[in-house]
Amino acid sequence: MPFLALGSYRIRYELEGPERGPAYVLVNGLTQYAELWTAYRDALVAKGFRVATFDLLGQGASDKPALFISQDDQVAALALLIDQLEPPIFLGGISFGGLIALRYAIEHPGRLAGLVAMSAFAELSPQLLLLGNALRTGLILGGTSYLQDLLLPMNLSDAWLGPQLGNLEAVKRQGWLTNDLYALQNLMESFLDFKPLTPQLSSIGVPTMILNGEFDFLTPRALHETLRIRIPDSALVIIPRAYHAFTLEKPALTADLLFRFAEDVRARTWKGNRSVWIAPDNAGGPLVPFPSGHDHLRAIPAHEVPG
Amino acid sequence: MSMFLGPLDAAGRVPPGQQTRVAAFLLSCHGAMARQLALAQSWQMNPAWHAELNAQLFHEAEIVALLPRATSWTIDPELLFLLPGWETSWLPRPGDGFADRTQAMTIDVVAFGHALHSVVRPAALLPQDAAAQDPFALALRRIEFESGRVMQPQIMFLKSADLLPFRSAVNAAVEGRHFQVRKLWREMLAGIGVDRCTSQ
Repeated sequence: MPFLALGSYRIRYELEGPERGPAYVLVNGLTQYAELWTAYRDALVAKGFRVATFDLLGQGASDKPALFISQDDQVAALALLIDQLEPPIFLGGISFGGLIALRYAIEHPGRLAGLVAMSAFAELSPQLLLLGNALRTGLILGGTSYLQDLLLPMNLSDAWLGPQLGNLEAVKRQGWLTNDLYALQNLMESFLDFKPLTPQLSSIGVPTMILNGEFDFLTPRALHETLRIRIPDSALVIIPRAYHAFTLEKPALTADLLFRFAEDVRARTWKGNRSVWIAPDNAGGPLVPFPSGHDHLRAIPAHEVPG
Repeated sequence: MSMFLGPLDAAGRVPPGQQTRVAAFLLSCHGAMARQLALAQSWQMNPAWHAELNAQLFHEAEIVALLPRATSWTIDPELLFLLPGWETSWLPRPGDGFADRTQAMTIDVVAFGHALHSVVRPAALLPQDAAAQDPFALALRRIEFESGRVMQPQIMFLKSADLLPFRSAVNAAVEGRHFQVRKLWREMLAGIGVDRCTSQ
């Protein structure tokens, strides 16, 4: 198990795939660990990519600082990992990992070939702030298991949860074993200690694909819209019938979207244009433009209000 | 080496040798914590923190009272050598960089508590098929669950505005106690065939 040295702390990472292949770096969400990208690693390595995954500081097998973790530490850890790779480098992150990926893209212009922000955000809306505080309180009062109880129905669909209902304790167990409560609390506090990135988003010059689950409750469409409006070469892709944790629920589809994005960028056929698309239901299907004249921020087919 | 206690017996219970070693470690560190908390209350003038230290004292007392009855004990001669080393490690060790010695002593007590309640995860040692109603398994789960609650006021204290001028010293004190507790916990577990190095 290889480690990078971030000061006195160790960051556990994994690199797979051909050394000279284009690179994809994948950044975990707050309560995740690197193994949750296994399906992505396998799919992208099979397409010739070199895939890097890692545990953020405070997660999994990386070191867990006792009291203080900052977002700057996470960006520094990500930079260390990316320094191991040869261009072209594509960076994707989910949720808190999407935020860290956005921060990296802002702080390291010119280093990336493409950016994929999944269930991401650049600022704490009142809803997200209050939800984050409530989830932290849940963690404190009920432990990691209770936090998982809150996150599972919030972030995954009935279609995924239904077959798992009799097996939920086993589903939760690996996350409970891997992530320590104090480290999760430190991570949650680093998430809530937030300086909005919105004014800096326009400095992201690389092609950017923004992925948002159709029914994402935790980070709804409006938060992704901020990214779409502010990042010049971006496109927003809505994942049908998906929630916040669509990377867990639809790995084949999402890995395919990541691959197609990188291929478009490498072939110079990517056109962001701040456009809005609807992803297919299954991997390989066509992306279709969001119907013109309708408001993609609404759940009902409301007509767009000009301006 | 396994990540978990065991192999379990036919009834899903942890072997008595492992129960004895784990319980002895927990009684040693939580007993020391209880003694230090009792002493710390005598010099703690802040009423809010006096209340928190008092609450934590009773939590430690619960653990110390629960484990002797919940454990299937067996003779473990190695404890004659292990226990003095553990007890010496838990002794107060106020750090440098604080306003005064009383503050340094209080920080050390809280840092020791934070390390115990965060690094030592006894329930995570139980294999998935451990008997749910076994007294030892119940005790380990209860200790870990309650530790999470006790940890919160410790974190609030250690990150409080009053201590911001001493952030580096506080961090060093807590990281030092984490390192010490983690090392002894892993060594104790390695002695009974459990490897937690990659999981914590």
